[in-house]
Amino acid sequence: MRKEGPMILTVISSLVVVFSTYFFLGQKWNLMAPLNNWFQISYSIAMALGFINLTAIHGKYIQRKREGWFYSIILLVSMYAYLVLGMIQTHNGLQFNWIYENAYSPLSSSMFALVAFFITSAAYRVFRIRTKEATILLVCAVFVMLGRAPIGDAMWGGWSGFVNKWVMGTMNVAGMRGINLGIYVGAFATALRIMLGLERAHIGGSGTQ
Amino acid sequence: MMWLLAQEQAPVPTLGIFTTGSVIDFACVLVLGVIIWVMVARARTGRKIPDIKKIAGLEAVDEAIGRATEMGRPVAFIPGIQSVDNPQTLAAFGMVSHIARQCARYDTRFLALNCDPLPYAVIEEITRQAYLEEGRPDAFNPDDIRFLSAEQFAFVGAVIGIFERERPAANIMFGSFYAESMILAETGSFQGMIQIGGTANTHQLPFFVAACDYALIGEEMFAASAYLSKEPVMYGTVVGQDWLKIIIGLVIVVGAILATVSPDSTFLKDIIGGY
Repeated sequence: MRKEGPMILTVISSLVVVFSTYFFLGQKWNLMAPLNNWFQISYSIAMALGFINLTAIHGKYIQRKREGWFYSIILLVSMYAYLVLGMIQTHNGLQFNWIYENAYSPLSSSMFALVAFFITSAAYRVFRIRTKEATILLVCAVFVMLGRAPIGDAMWGGWSGFVNKWVMGTMNVAGMRGINLGIYVGAFATALRIMLGLERAHIGGSGTQ
Repeated sequence: MMWLLAQEQAPVPTLGIFTTGSVIDFACVLVLGVIIWVMVARARTGRKIPDIKKIAGLEAVDEAIGRATEMGRPVAFIPGIQSVDNPQTLAAFGMVSHIARQCARYDTRFLALNCDPLPYAVIEEITRQAYLEEGRPDAFNPDDIRFLSAEQFAFVGAVIGIFERERPAANIMFGSFYAESMILAETGSFQGMIQIGGTANTHQLPFFVAACDYALIGEEMFAASAYLSKEPVMYGTVVGQDWLKIIIGLVIVVGAILATVSPDSTFLKDIIGGY
């Protein structure tokens, strides 16, 4: 029953979702509402498991005085302090929001800003003329970059913008739509495999039946 | 009297049982379900099912694990940053099962780094079961299956730190990624890891193609669990997917011809409109 139970639950839940999406009675009875609530509850329980995992791992680091154990103390103290503050003040609390807006948000934005530098280093590696395809990629990239910057128009009038729009609006869209078509069908087939019980990896099975 | 006139009409079911505008969608669901079921039935009765073409990224998974085993360093796996309601995360579970088995077999350390608590709980169970089925329950270390943070860039910071300290030899990123994909892939590249990146988020594909040794594009991800299992029944579902793509392609071609020949005609729209 250890594997059959989750399998039966998966199939029943999937059928409820399909029934609610396509059939009038499913929407009238609002069958999705309890499922959504159960998902939220499961998420909260899993978050508690995540907290336990973090505490256990960093607790061991502190106990063994592993290199950088001081950062583990900072992590655990800040994690639990923010948790307690949130439980007391809720998400509308003044101090709770101040910490989010003045500590977490700037840190997150700084990490996001690093993406620009990583893109530059990756582009340097990729845009080297080694093959025909790499050459075509480089030429298209140059036109697209010039088309999006004022210098393109300054050099070539409206031509760089025209080439940029054609590359991004015609060639790129065509390619992406083809990829997206495959993705949607693939995602649907994956969901169907799980609904039909053909794929059992998510319940710790050997992956297939 | 105006407030009476303004009252909303109760929704009316289409064909008596369907919600408005969902008949065509449900028909597509049924068609794909039937195609896949036919292919699965053919596979179960032992009839020949076409092979899946070689996918370099998936062939490289065993190579990456082998490299990590030889170097005595761990294999890192990141199942994306979304939760279990995302099909890409579900596809990642099939990959985890295969990788965990291989790592158990070769006694290679397997690090699973999670951004969401639900996939963390599922992956821990999948990994534990994989080690059990390989006869190595003692080798399973639950501390190697980690939940790091539910916040995107806090997760990235934690992963970068783990890459620096644990020095994995292989990094497999498989799931739904956003802006963090570039940072993760480039950091792995700087560390000299063999990297396999797969996502169905098309806006992140260029980053994986640029920074990873192998990239799995869109539907190759969803064929991964069938490809790695090498089971005819799973191959049958992938063949069903391909048949549906052929049907959709034919519909697109017919539609394009009709739109070109008779752009003002509303013949088809009149027939299927409202369904």
